[in-house]
Amino acid sequence: MLSLFILLPFFCLIAVNLPVKGARRLAFWLTASLFVLQILAVLLHPSVFWGMKEDLFANFFAINFSVNNLSLVIFLTIGIVGLVSLIIGKYTLANRPDRFHFTNLLLTALIGMNALALLTDLFSMYVFIEVTALSSFILIAVQREKTALEGAFKYLIISTIASALMLSSVALILLVSGSTSFDVVSAALKASSGSVFVKLAVALFLCGPFIKSGLVPFHGWLPDAYSAAPSAVSVLLAGIITKVSGVYVLMKLVMSVFGFTPVIRDILMFAGALSIVFGALAAIGQKDFKRMLAYSSISQVGYIIIGLGCGTKLAIAGAALHFFNHAVFKSLLFTNAAVMEQKLGTVDMDKMGGLTSRMPFTGMTSLIAFLSTAGIPPLSGFWSKLLIVVALWTSGMHGYAAIALLASVLTLAYFLSMQRRVFFGKLRPGLEAVQEAGTGLVITQVALALVILGVGLGFPFMLKTLAPLKNILW
Amino acid sequence: MTQNLLFLPIIIPLAAAIICILTPRNLRPAQAMIALAATLINLLISAALWGRQISFSAPWLGIGFEFSLRLYHFSAFIMLSVASFGFLVTLYSTVFMRDRNSLGQFYAYFLLTLSFAAGAVLADNLLVLLLFWEGLLLALFGMIIIGNKSAFKTATKAFIIVGITDLCMMTGIALTGKLAGTLTMSQINLPLGGLGSVAFILLMIGAISKGGAMPFHTWIPDAAVDAPLPFMALVPAALEKLLGIYFLTRISLDLFQLNPGSWVSVLLMTIGAVTIILAVMMALVQKDYKRLLSYHAISQVGYMILGIGTAVPAGIIGGLFHMINNALYKSCLFLTGGSVEKQAGTTNLEELGGLRSRMPVTFACFVITALAISGVPPFNGFFSRELVYDGALSRGCIFYVAAVAGSFFTAASFLKLGHAAFLGKINDKNKGVKEASFAMLFPMMVIALICVLFGLYNYLPINKLIQPVLGEARLEGHDYSGFPHNITLVLVTVIVLIGALANHIFGVKRTGAGLKAVDHIHYAPGLSQIYSMAEKRYFDPYEIGMKFAQFAARIIWRIDRAIDWVYDSLLTGAAHAFSKVIRGMHTGYYPVYIAWSILGTAAVLLFALK
Amino acid sequence: MMIDLILLICLVLAAFWAVVAARMLKAVVGLALTSVIVSILMFRMNSPLAAVFELSVCAGLIPVIFITTISFTKRLSWEAYLERKKEIFSRFWYLPVILVITVVLLSRYKIAADFILPQAPAVTDVRHVLWNLRQSDLFGQIIILLIGAFGVVTLFKVKQPKDKPK
Repeated sequence: MLSLFILLPFFCLIAVNLPVKGARRLAFWLTASLFVLQILAVLLHPSVFWGMKEDLFANFFAINFSVNNLSLVIFLTIGIVGLVSLIIGKYTLANRPDRFHFTNLLLTALIGMNALALLTDLFSMYVFIEVTALSSFILIAVQREKTALEGAFKYLIISTIASALMLSSVALILLVSGSTSFDVVSAALKASSGSVFVKLAVALFLCGPFIKSGLVPFHGWLPDAYSAAPSAVSVLLAGIITKVSGVYVLMKLVMSVFGFTPVIRDILMFAGALSIVFGALAAIGQKDFKRMLAYSSISQVGYIIIGLGCGTKLAIAGAALHFFNHAVFKSLLFTNAAVMEQKLGTVDMDKMGGLTSRMPFTGMTSLIAFLSTAGIPPLSGFWSKLLIVVALWTSGMHGYAAIALLASVLTLAYFLSMQRRVFFGKLRPGLEAVQEAGTGLVITQVALALVILGVGLGFPFMLKTLAPLKNILW
Repeated sequence: MTQNLLFLPIIIPLAAAIICILTPRNLRPAQAMIALAATLINLLISAALWGRQISFSAPWLGIGFEFSLRLYHFSAFIMLSVASFGFLVTLYSTVFMRDRNSLGQFYAYFLLTLSFAAGAVLADNLLVLLLFWEGLLLALFGMIIIGNKSAFKTATKAFIIVGITDLCMMTGIALTGKLAGTLTMSQINLPLGGLGSVAFILLMIGAISKGGAMPFHTWIPDAAVDAPLPFMALVPAALEKLLGIYFLTRISLDLFQLNPGSWVSVLLMTIGAVTIILAVMMALVQKDYKRLLSYHAISQVGYMILGIGTAVPAGIIGGLFHMINNALYKSCLFLTGGSVEKQAGTTNLEELGGLRSRMPVTFACFVITALAISGVPPFNGFFSRELVYDGALSRGCIFYVAAVAGSFFTAASFLKLGHAAFLGKINDKNKGVKEASFAMLFPMMVIALICVLFGLYNYLPINKLIQPVLGEARLEGHDYSGFPHNITLVLVTVIVLIGALANHIFGVKRTGAGLKAVDHIHYAPGLSQIYSMAEKRYFDPYEIGMKFAQFAARIIWRIDRAIDWVYDSLLTGAAHAFSKVIRGMHTGYYPVYIAWSILGTAAVLLFALK
Repeated sequence: MMIDLILLICLVLAAFWAVVAARMLKAVVGLALTSVIVSILMFRMNSPLAAVFELSVCAGLIPVIFITTISFTKRLSWEAYLERKKEIFSRFWYLPVILVITVVLLSRYKIAADFILPQAPAVTDVRHVLWNLRQSDLFGQIIILLIGAFGVVTLFKVKQPKDKPK
């Protein structure tokens, strides 16, 4: 019953919008339970659910769904980040109608992303990329602030380019293969790999997810969109929307359609390395907390892409793990940002200082997230970066491995300088009245920090027990 | 069981040192008693071990090193000397140090010194030797530091000088081990030449700097003023000479084959001759009892190095004999200095004078040992010097002349010292000075007696102690005891001594005071400038080194700043500049972003279609 | 062939005009012109179906929506128009330069291979592809419509405080 991943959000969407009294009230809890269900479905991995082959919905629409181990990681990540985003939205979006719209759009984005993880058809993927993207445009501007509208507009415009590129590519591929389903396309591409048409189509398609995932130099829209969006939406954007509609699509297509040709690998690794370095360097000079996180996001996406480009089994496992880890620690950081935005009314780091004394949970959890981002053992980020670097090194990409390692130092540099400016040291005058966030946000932060710690500490154990990780690596 | 006896001379002082440092402050007499008892037992054990041959060896550190100790006639003899001096100086200290502070530390370092010295002498493995050698350095540092206020600077100076030379020695040991394939001393026998010479010189630097030869001597005169006097009487005057010359002899005779033909021998003799002359010239003009003695402590080691450097039997025997003699009379002289300091409250010669009638026993001891150090027959110094002269003459006239000149100045400076301290008019302040107590006089008297004894019956030390060190093969049937064979040399010596006396009388006549008896030399044209520069320490390699080090440090600091700047400003600056550029690029103006995306796409397409 | 070339040049010029036109109305006209040229090109390439869609939707319907919207706005004054012209010039002066450079580069850079399909295209009717094979996208399109509705509600239906019933 894989189609439940799409249908349940859809029914949920309909249910909360029924013109019945009290339906809106239920929206939060219904959606939250949906995410919890998704997380549980992956973690507990009930064979009853995954083993059921009969799928009325899929049969009706003649859709071919399939999941592999990578999809499981994606489902898990979507579940966690979506839940976090929902909780942040509940506490930080001031306006009740806004909260309701936010929940609706979250559900549509969820449909889009879950469908992306299930689908095996190029054109359908394009359609659901658009579903996800459209939801996110409106999500960014959900509070109708001027900067947010501007950010959404930029995202919209540049996404359009991505759509155009992908659509052209799909057209070319259709010409070559006569179909858009993965199996046929993959076979056709392999059969005529020397053709200029094929090369053009592949290159065009690659650029689409590049734009969506914000790789350098396709990243222009990303900092504006991330920093202008409400924190709840930033979590969603950084954690899953750009990752699923960009990075995951790229992974899926390269792994199961395009194949690891030398050209693709070179392009991926170069773009990844460029993003790593550029993002890290750009993050150093930022004053805006969320903007810095946005650049850091570019840098971390670079790691995933470079791991994908390496193409060995170990590297892809590392990339998948980093996908998950990045989603978790970036969500935590944006949660911290949400707390600051709520309690201080600003995310300008020059106006902060010594906040740990006032908000101990936020300070400590952000420290954990930073260290994990920088790849400090034994936190979760360390393992995934380690896997990627080791895989790069063992497959002879010494230069890229060195870049990946050195950029970690840069990551540490900007995060530590930020940490010092914002959380450590003496409390800045005027901030004496600042208080720790409400219980809900604190619990979210602590839970995410525990996930980081737990994955880091229990990594070797987890490799053997947790189904998604286990299956990816072995 | 007998093997384990070897550990006693090391362990007993060590244990006593630990007890001393742990003893509460209000039990100070107990500390002295513990130290005295420990040194007495040590002496008895050393005496009991005399004449035995014991070896001990056990695997050490687990990496192929042997912890090996070896007792044979040479080490037994040095150990007995160390133990004897240890006991006598401790006895002296019980009175001398009675009212000082940090008594526990003093005895602890003192006993540690004894323990490590015994270890260094017994060691039959270069690594073990080095271990104890470094231990001595630590004890030395601690000992100087408990002196007066300026002691820390002196202690640092001593630590750095000895530390550097120990580093040379460490390198030498590594090199020797590499060349010989073993670190066990009794198995090493290397020829000189090439790396062998380098190893020898490195080890030699360690040995002669322990002995206090130039140019590694400069901490001794400073320490003489700063450190507690019994330490001076024991360590630089006796113990370090014994150890330094012991090791020099070992490397010259056993570890390497030093033969008269090699340039290393000439180097050694040159060091010896230069040390003799320069140190004695400095001693001549000193106006402090202890400082004057300390320069002599340096000068005398020159004779030993010269003697051993000659590499002929007469010279080596002379050098070793001189080592014993020097240890005897120099420590005794320091002890007389201590008595004077204790009783008169000062060692400044300008404030002393006429103490002969007040401290007759001290004076008598001083006279005997001064005659001995000046080489007046029939005291022990005379015989050892004659042997060194003999050896030096056989290797080159210049070395002989230097040695004899040293003799002249030695005599002159002791005439001055004795005259200034004990003869002449008594200072008003010193009217109430009394003779020192028996515990202080006893060691002096014993040592002075031995000086006479070793002079009159010089076959005792030469036949029993020294000639076995060289072995029958080297001696070729000669017996170097008894009255010197070369009468010409004796005559020259006598003439030189008379000359020194005449010079003194001339000086006293000229200035009217014993202290100023050598002013005509001090202020001679040419010499006076050199002296004033020496007093300002222009010739002190430590000071020169420190100046250089400061200069170098300044340069290195600059370089360090530059590197720091690269990391601190350049790199972060570059990163910031770069991120500023990036921020500048993000104008927030979407056509620019579109342009980037299109350019990126174009690049990807070009690359893919290539 | 010559006609195609002229049409392509016209296409670029029309698109350029649409970008740099200072008045929105002119920009819409430029857009419509571009679509018309595209549909002519499609006719010439034997794709009448695509050409008809292009002509009716992109050249017809969308400009109509745009013009309707623009008719709600106020016309720019002459001073504002000049000001805006200046601003557009300062923003886009490099576009023709880039255009020329691109043309030069493309004429210099010979793409080695020729664009020949590796195999004959599967002869399937477009209608068959669109209506029989693409049911799966139907669901996606439904969702997109829903999102559109939410978007309008979220972004444009702002409750004025004074409108609130007491």
